[in-house]
Amino acid sequence: MKSQIPIEQLLRWRLAQAEASAPPPPRAGQVLEMACPWWEVWPEKFRDFAQQLGLIRIAYGLAMSRPEEPGGHPVPVLFVGGAEKLETSARVLYFNVRDGRLRLRLRLNAAIPKAPENFEVTFVNPQLRPLFSAAATPSADGEYRLDIELPEPLAYEWEQLKVTDPMPFRLMIHSDKKKD
Amino acid sequence: MMRFVWFWTFWHWSSESFRTGCLLHSPVQGVGTHWDEWFHHEASEEDRRAMTDTGRSETGQREFITWLYRHWAREQDWSNHRMVARFVIGQLAHLPPFGHWVAFEKYRTGRFRDGISSLVLAEGSSGEVTDVRPMEALVLPKDHAAGDGFLTDGFQTDREDIESPRLATISLLRGKGLLFFLILWMAGGRRPYPLWLKFILNLGWLLTGGLILYLLCGPDPREQLPVLVAILAGLWGALMLMAVTVISAQAVLARRAGEYWFARLEENQVRLRMEGGLTFKGASAGLPFCLNALFSLYRAWPEVTRRSWLWRSFFHRLNAETGSWAATGVITPSGFLKPVVLEPKIRAAQLHDRIRHVITPRQCDAREAARHAAKKSKSPSSHRHEPVAPVVEANGIRLGYAADYAAEKPFLRIHACRHAAQSLLAIGALASRWQMTANICAVGISLVLLAAAPDLRAILMPYPSPAPMKPASPSPNFLWVSLDTDHPRYFSVVLESSYWACRRVDVARYTGANASVRAEILLTSSGVKGSGTVGTIWVERAPHFLTRDFGPGERVGRYSLPYMFSLGAD
Repeated sequence: MKSQIPIEQLLRWRLAQAEASAPPPPRAGQVLEMACPWWEVWPEKFRDFAQQLGLIRIAYGLAMSRPEEPGGHPVPVLFVGGAEKLETSARVLYFNVRDGRLRLRLRLNAAIPKAPENFEVTFVNPQLRPLFSAAATPSADGEYRLDIELPEPLAYEWEQLKVTDPMPFRLMIHSDKKKD
Repeated sequence: MMRFVWFWTFWHWSSESFRTGCLLHSPVQGVGTHWDEWFHHEASEEDRRAMTDTGRSETGQREFITWLYRHWAREQDWSNHRMVARFVIGQLAHLPPFGHWVAFEKYRTGRFRDGISSLVLAEGSSGEVTDVRPMEALVLPKDHAAGDGFLTDGFQTDREDIESPRLATISLLRGKGLLFFLILWMAGGRRPYPLWLKFILNLGWLLTGGLILYLLCGPDPREQLPVLVAILAGLWGALMLMAVTVISAQAVLARRAGEYWFARLEENQVRLRMEGGLTFKGASAGLPFCLNALFSLYRAWPEVTRRSWLWRSFFHRLNAETGSWAATGVITPSGFLKPVVLEPKIRAAQLHDRIRHVITPRQCDAREAARHAAKKSKSPSSHRHEPVAPVVEANGIRLGYAADYAAEKPFLRIHACRHAAQSLLAIGALASRWQMTANICAVGISLVLLAAAPDLRAILMPYPSPAPMKPASPSPNFLWVSLDTDHPRYFSVVLESSYWACRRVDVARYTGANASVRAEILLTSSGVKGSGTVGTIWVERAPHFLTRDFGPGERVGRYSLPYMFSLGAD
C-alpha cells in the first residue's frame, strides 16, 4: 500500500466525500419559501393561531393567574410547541426602541413544560395581523431577550412607548421553525 | 474608588432607564436583569477592560465586594439596610463576568440563602428528601412595579396564600400575635436573668412559701408576728416587682422592636424565594413564609434586637441553626395554624440530613403521622438518598429508635404549635419547664397572699381602735358591746369581772332589727358574791392569717361595766 499521498490529493478526496454526504441544494422555490415569513408560507396555521391568540382575555382568561398584578400590562401569549399549545401571558421587563432597533426582555407568567432554549417570537398587532418575528434567546433568571430591527413606521410609533404602557402587540411563541 | 467607575456607569444607566420607563423594575429589584442587559449590550470596551482588571485577582474581586458594601451602599443611602448590598451581590454572582469570580462563590452557592425550609410535596410524592425545600426571604426597597405585600421569586402561588402570612407577620410584630407570644412567654418562658439572680429569685419564692406555711401551721409567733408578716409582704412585693418590671420592660421593648420592623416592612418589600419553579396548590407553606419574613427583617436590621432580649433570643438561635429547621402549616391572618397533610412531610424531613426540627400545626393525627413516618423510613429502601435515623420525637416523646443511624442523625424533633407565636418560643428555645413550674408556684403563693391581704394589712397597719356605741342588749342575760368599726374580724372583746364569769368573745356583724357590729357576752355569775357592776370590758386586737387565729393581740380599749350598762340605759 502506498503510504505517501500528496496533500492536494488528500484534500480533493475529502471534498469529494463531503459533497457526497451533503444534502442536495434547495431548489429556487424552496429558497423563496425559506425567505418568506412563516405566516405567508402557512397562512391557515397562522389564522388558527391568531384566532386563538385573539381569544385570550388577560383580565378574565385562564392565562392570567394574578389579574391584579401591578407594574406593566401583561401581554397575551400563545405558545406553540409541536402538538402542544399553551395560552399564557408575559411581562415585558425591558422595552427600548433606539435607532430603529427594538430591545425587549420578557418573562413568561406560566412555566412551559420542556421549554426549548430558543424561541421564535411572532409579534401580532391587536387586529391580529402579523408584524414581524424575531428569535428570542434565554437570559438570566428565566427571562428571554430579543433584539431586532423594526420596520420604520413601527420604530417611530413604538419609540414613545414605556414598559408600563399597554403593549400594542400580542405574541406567538414557537419552539421550532416548522410551526407545527 | 475610581477603579469601579464601570459599576457607577451601569447603575446610572439602570436608574435612568427605569426613570424613562424602559425598565419595569427598580434598579435594586431588577438588578440581575439590568446588569445582564447592560453588560451584553451597553457596556463599552473600556468598561469591560476595567471589569477584567478587577476580576483578574481574588483580591480585586474582594475589594469590589467590600466597595459595594461600604461605599456604594452608603452612597445610595442604604448603609443601614444590610440586605440591599447582599442582594445585589447575590444577583450579580450568577451573571457574567462575576459568574466565574472566586470571591462570589459563597454568594453563588447560597451560603447566605438559608432560611427555614418549607415542606412542600411534589405531585404524587410520598415524602422524598427533595420535598424539603430551602427558602429564604429578603427585604428590599419597595418596587411598585413588583406589587405590594410579599412577592414570590422562583415559585408561583395564589395571592391569598401569601397575604395571610403577611398579615400574620404583622400580627406577630405588633398585633394580637405579639400579645399571644408575650402571654406564652410570661406563662412559661425563660427569663433574661443571670444564673445567680435566678437562684436568688427561686430562693425568694421558696422562702415566701415557707413563711406562709409557717404562719398557717407553725407555732404562734406572738409578738414576732408583725415582723414575720412584714418580711413576708416585703419579700413577695420585691419578687413581684422584679417579675412585673422585667416582664413589662421586655414586653415594651419587644413591642417597640416590632413597631420598628413593622415600619420598615411597610416601607420595603419582602421577596420570598424558593428554587424549582413550583406552582403551589394549597397554602401549607404559609408558616415558613411568615417565619422567613420575620427572619428577613432581622437580617436587614439586626441592631434592633440589641434592645429586646426576647427577639434577640429568637433570632440569634434561628440565625445559628437556620438550616436545621423546617416548617409546614396553613397560617391564618391572626397567626393560628391549620392542619395539613403531615406524614409524608415528616418522612421527607427525616430523610434530609440537615433537618433536626420540624414545626407543624397541632393536630390530632400528628403523633400518629410521626409514628407512621418513623416506621416507613426505617425500611432500607427509604434511605436511598440519605442514610439518616428514623427516630422521631413528637411533643417531646421519642417514638422510635434506630441504632444504625443514630450516629448520623440523633433524632428529629417535631414542635406541634397552635399559633405561630408558639413556634417563636420553640425556635428561640424560650420555653422552660422549670420557669413554668416556678411560675405556677409563684401564682399559687400570690393567690394565697392576695386572699390573706386584709389579714396582713390588719397586722401591719392596724385599724383604729373602735369606740363602744349603741345598741345595748335588750336582754338582761346578755351584754352587747357594740363597736364603731367596719372590721369586726380583727377585734375581740374580753369581760373581766369578779362577779361575772370572764369571757372572750369575737366581734361580729349582726343584721336584723338591732343591726350592729358587736360582741354578745352571755352574763353568767361566777358564784362569787359581789356587785354585778364591778368589772372591765377590754377591746383587743385579734390577728388572723387566713384560717389561722393567733393569740390575743394588743388591748386597744378599756371600759367599765357600769359605763357599758349605762349605754343601754340611754
